[in-house]
Amino acid sequence: MDFTAQTQQPQTPPKNWLVESILVTIFCCLPFGIAGIVFATQVNSKLASGDYQGAVSASENAARWTKIGFWIGIISVILWVVFVLFFGGMAMMSNMRNEY
Amino acid sequence: MSKAFKLILISTTVSAVALLYFFTDVGTAKYLPRCPFNYLTGLFCPGCGSQRAFAALLHGHLLAAGKFNLLFIVCAPLIIYSALITLINAFSTRQFSQKIFYSPLFVKGLLAIVIFFWVARNLPLYPFYLLAPHS
Repeated sequence: MDFTAQTQQPQTPPKNWLVESILVTIFCCLPFGIAGIVFATQVNSKLASGDYQGAVSASENAARWTKIGFWIGIISVILWVVFVLFFGGMAMMSNMRNEY
Repeated sequence: MSKAFKLILISTTVSAVALLYFFTDVGTAKYLPRCPFNYLTGLFCPGCGSQRAFAALLHGHLLAAGKFNLLFIVCAPLIIYSALITLINAFSTRQFSQKIFYSPLFVKGLLAIVIFFWVARNLPLYPFYLLAPHS
């Protein structure tokens, strides 16, 4: 029997950030989430073809885009809440009768 | 950051967000963020409707959730599967790998689905506009 297929993986596969990219895509910072998924596909296909270094660098790119998307998401939520509180407060002070 | 702390932080955040979405009327609440892509372009992104879908899912309304965002329903099992394995790995000495996420075909298929979904839900043609968020 040939066991080379099993013994050929010397290192653990680099994290491909797929689930994180899906989360970023679904929860709305889309170009970055999709970039993350694209790099996740690269991690997998490079691993499959035995290009471990290529997979590692694709993994780093996936991590970068996923994290950018994640932080932009968090920041835009915070900005949104601040914006709503600010203008909500202004609206309450200026025309209290104009409720809808 | 220790592993246990990270786990507690994430599960607390997820539970808090779930509680918030369970008890608010997501469709009309003004303090919930709007999608920046939708705000800027008027088009729907692949994630549009997922806040309403999440709230509908929390109330057990699977069909309503699917109408808001079908991709969310498709991806929810994947996210739950990954979260469960991560949770099990954190408490057990035996480590389970998430093999399906390392299949080149699976990830390419998922990428194709996301891009198709993004384009299709913006088309003003009959079967496709059903993918846009609606109640």
